[in-house]
Amino acid sequence: MTTDRMKPKPGLPVAVLLAGLSIGFFVVVALATGETAQLSGQGIAGLLQRMVALGLVAIGQTFVILVGSIDLSVAALISAVAVLASHVMQGDPAMLLPAVLLCLGLCAAVGFVNGALVAYGGINPLIATLGTGLVIQGVLAASFGALQGSVAREFQIIAYGGVLGVPYSLLLLAALSLAAAFVLDRTLFGARIYAVGGNPDGARLAGIRTERVILSAHMVASFFAGAAGLYLAARLQSGTPWIGRDGIYDLESIAVTVIGGTILAGGKGGVAGTLAGVLLFASLDAGFNMLGIDAFLKQVLRGAIVIAAVAVHAVRTKGHVA
Amino acid sequence: MTAVPALSMTGISKAFPGVRALDDVDFECLPGEVHAICGENGAGKSTLMKILGGSYKPDAGAIHLAGKAVQFTHPRQAAEAGIAIIHQELSLLPHRTVEENIFMGHELARRGILDKVAMRERAAELLRRVGAQIDPQAPVSSLSIALQQVVEIAKALLLDARILVMDEPTAALDERDSRTLLKLVDGLRGEGVSIVYISHRMPEVTAIADRITILKDGRKIWTRPRDAAPISEIVRAMVGRDLKDFYPAVPVSPADEVLLAIEGGMNAGLRDVAFNVRAGEILGVAGLEDSGKGALAQALVGDVPFTSGTVALRGQPIALRTPRQATAAGIGYLPGDRKREGLALRQSVRDNALLTLRSMTGLFTRPQRGALAHDAMDERLRAMDVRAADFGQEVGTLSGGNQQKAIIVRWLAQASDILVFVEPTRGIDIAAKAAIYETMRAFTGSGRGIVVVSSDMPELIGIADRVLVMHQGRISGVVRRGASEEDIMHLALGLADAPSAEAGA
Amino acid sequence: MTTVPQSSPSRRQAARITVNSGLVIFVALYAVIAFLQPNYLEPGLFMNFLRRAAPLVILSCGQLYVILTGGFDLSMGAVATLVVLAASILINGDPETTWAVIGALYAMGIAVGLVNGLVVAFLKVPSIIATLGTMLLVNGLALAWSGGAARGDLPDNFRNLGRLVWRNVPVIGTLPLAALVLTGFVALAWFGLNATVYGKRALAVGDNPRAAELAGTPVAATRILAFVVSAVSAATAGILLGGFSGVSVNAGEGLELQAIAACVIGGAQLLGGRGSVWSAVFGALSLFALFTLLNLLGLPQALRDSIQGLILIAAVGASMWGNRRRT
Repeated sequence: MTTDRMKPKPGLPVAVLLAGLSIGFFVVVALATGETAQLSGQGIAGLLQRMVALGLVAIGQTFVILVGSIDLSVAALISAVAVLASHVMQGDPAMLLPAVLLCLGLCAAVGFVNGALVAYGGINPLIATLGTGLVIQGVLAASFGALQGSVAREFQIIAYGGVLGVPYSLLLLAALSLAAAFVLDRTLFGARIYAVGGNPDGARLAGIRTERVILSAHMVASFFAGAAGLYLAARLQSGTPWIGRDGIYDLESIAVTVIGGTILAGGKGGVAGTLAGVLLFASLDAGFNMLGIDAFLKQVLRGAIVIAAVAVHAVRTKGHVA
Repeated sequence: MTAVPALSMTGISKAFPGVRALDDVDFECLPGEVHAICGENGAGKSTLMKILGGSYKPDAGAIHLAGKAVQFTHPRQAAEAGIAIIHQELSLLPHRTVEENIFMGHELARRGILDKVAMRERAAELLRRVGAQIDPQAPVSSLSIALQQVVEIAKALLLDARILVMDEPTAALDERDSRTLLKLVDGLRGEGVSIVYISHRMPEVTAIADRITILKDGRKIWTRPRDAAPISEIVRAMVGRDLKDFYPAVPVSPADEVLLAIEGGMNAGLRDVAFNVRAGEILGVAGLEDSGKGALAQALVGDVPFTSGTVALRGQPIALRTPRQATAAGIGYLPGDRKREGLALRQSVRDNALLTLRSMTGLFTRPQRGALAHDAMDERLRAMDVRAADFGQEVGTLSGGNQQKAIIVRWLAQASDILVFVEPTRGIDIAAKAAIYETMRAFTGSGRGIVVVSSDMPELIGIADRVLVMHQGRISGVVRRGASEEDIMHLALGLADAPSAEAGA
Repeated sequence: MTTVPQSSPSRRQAARITVNSGLVIFVALYAVIAFLQPNYLEPGLFMNFLRRAAPLVILSCGQLYVILTGGFDLSMGAVATLVVLAASILINGDPETTWAVIGALYAMGIAVGLVNGLVVAFLKVPSIIATLGTMLLVNGLALAWSGGAARGDLPDNFRNLGRLVWRNVPVIGTLPLAALVLTGFVALAWFGLNATVYGKRALAVGDNPRAAELAGTPVAATRILAFVVSAVSAATAGILLGGFSGVSVNAGEGLELQAIAACVIGGAQLLGGRGSVWSAVFGALSLFALFTLLNLLGLPQALRDSIQGLILIAAVGASMWGNRRRT
């Protein structure tokens, strides 16, 4: 009885492959279009900064997808957080902390409702989170359609400041990515997430309280969406009720997670692959810009890439999907 | 062996609505003993083990562990008391490593941070103890089924299980892997673990068990030490039951015309299958769970098609690549799992009966005309004696027997030539059974044919004109009407076709 | 193990009740509207109500086909936008070309529907993700084509489909052309579900695709056709929208979710197996009446999204709860 050992860490090669592909595409396009400035340290930092918002959302999305659920409400929550932050701060640095705390409170509430509807209510996660997303979006548009307010100048350091030429936003993404990877790989909570996503019945038989794990994963996803919202508010100075939806963060976060090798059924994947997927989208984005492809065609390509990405992973499933 | 049994169950009874699953059963297992339980499907083995595992509460009887009375209301309690049950469907995480699986739900952690070093050491130690050279960091999906079983056993040992229940552990294993597993069981016995071993494989049972208990129809027939229980005795005790007299009379002269002919049928679950169905014949298919009898039904109806071989209906070659093709060719399917595969439960009885007609007719056929009209279908349903207050009511509200009749009506309306039944009377009461057998006989009476796949052996013997017996994806033999259950069981256990290979196990 | 027959007289009665829940809700809501604004009881205003509700009703009928088979179509709003923009670019003010262009618009719609259906049926992408993808794709195409702004011009003969109103019609006073288009489309949708075998196939596929497949139902074709019908309804709605609101880059925005919410209000079950044309029609009328009522009460339009979200969650939660109690 010997083990025929397969690849030791199945998540890593996908991530490495994707990252290589993304960087290759970026370099080739930069050289071909003569935009060699893009390959300087600053250009690279610019490329990586494109990853921040989507990267944060996608890490959270990875948690819910790993546990076998999904979150379509992230786009609306991003908008809500961005709007709330600028509304509460009104440019006043003294309100910075209360605003951030209030935003995190909102994330906790939304994550709790999503998780409770899915785990305890037994409602299909696609519908439950689509519903909560709509509720948030409607309240936002109705109450904050004509918003006055902006975040404090000090708060914008997150988006524009840096240390030794490295933007703070990148450090934030790196720190949160590492934290997420640590949680998934090294903690009890991470192990439970993989167990519940991989085999819910087996996990229940092993004595795991699956509902709590699902609920917690939804809360994590909401906190990460909130972080993305705060970052966007800092970058844009003030949030609008549509920044989440315009960025298509719901669909794109699912797409990069799936491209990164996390399976929609749950139980397999990780943060590294997701980040590689985000890098792919950022390079495509930057490349399309260098090539001068117009914004709308870019959207067409994205739609096609999303479908193709999910299809590549889904086509082998047996049985029927609806 | 010590005198106090590690496990003793006394006077266990359990009834489900309409069925007496267990009737005053005694069972015990000493420390360091392998005690095998044998019995046909439905004999009560799994109910007994579910009671032991805390999934079911017994109606009567007591359980003692090492002399102490216990009562379980939740599987978790049984696990904590040192009982581990390894189910046929494994509860592993395919994408995770062996050590992560061993510790699922019981991870070693300090303040929420996993202690990976300690877990690795403990996992390696457990794997050493079961004598398996498995890399604790290999993903479970890269392991063979046999090694996955070993991981399940290691999971059980982690919880310090003193009583290990193995439910058909070798069902999915080949000869070599089975042997390895048996060696492992033998090693555990040496460590004083009590093992309850459920299996259909007779050579295996007599090779490993210290004692053997036979269950039948919810009752214990006997418990004997291995030496007092030759295979022939076991088989006789398992099947010796009176034939019920509700099987319809056999037609005097079965026709010789070949209706359906399969040659060289192969796919992942089938090896070189060849047989005929004659006009007017009911052909039974017997075999154990993993024998390929289900795969044969799925291939005949195009669900999991043959990958090679030829199929001819009335001499004409036909293709059976999809259920729709099979339906068009005149083959109808009555699946064993009616709720999942047979019925659209929220649609009406009438709609379910009309499903195939509506599916096979042109899209623009008027749904209220001709054979599709409600009146016409209601007529058929009444003729089949489907009992419903109203044929417009949801089919999910009917009894199993009436649901099965509604599916039969579906295929009668389509005028199929061949019907493929899987477990035709599973979950159906006696009276409805008789009616379904009558209908089957009436169907073949008009020169058509039936293939019936069943694990209910008296049923096959009672209803079928011939019975194909399958073993490991092949047809291991054919018995004619009048054969005994023992003949079938011999073929199904593979005793007839490969005695030398099995003897070494 | 035997199963006990559970048929009881009360169940029978429940199955026989055919009054659509959407109709009840609609009548109630319209009564409130009429109470607040009595002139809504005049035939003219009611006809105008119908005219404005027509695109939503038509979209809901199309969405219902997909819902019956157990899926969602989130691309229909984008298709409506594409149709509006494409019509104005292609016709560009020349009334001669109107009918040919309408043909082309339907061809576009059918193409999108086919893509949706094929991706869901054969690539096994869940419809909610597949159609979100085509939504992006179609929206992007429409905007790229038009350059991101309304351009071109719609001639009167095209716009009349949406806005022409005949006056001095006996009995009802006024008759909008859109109401006729509405009636025609609903009749066609009814025909498809009730006068062909398609409707029952779709219900069976939505209820239990596996059982339907084993009974010989062409499951993939049934699914694909549903998406095509849905896209055709989106094209029709787009043509009406171009008529009465003119050309705009967000003509169809959010309509897909309104259509889903409408079907749910009318009693269609998400994820398949239950529903009728009347679910779509009365559900859509109810939703539109609700929007009208909220307007009258002075609530912001934007809250529509929230109400739809609550309706979705509540409807699915309620049906889950009902199922759990039944089993």
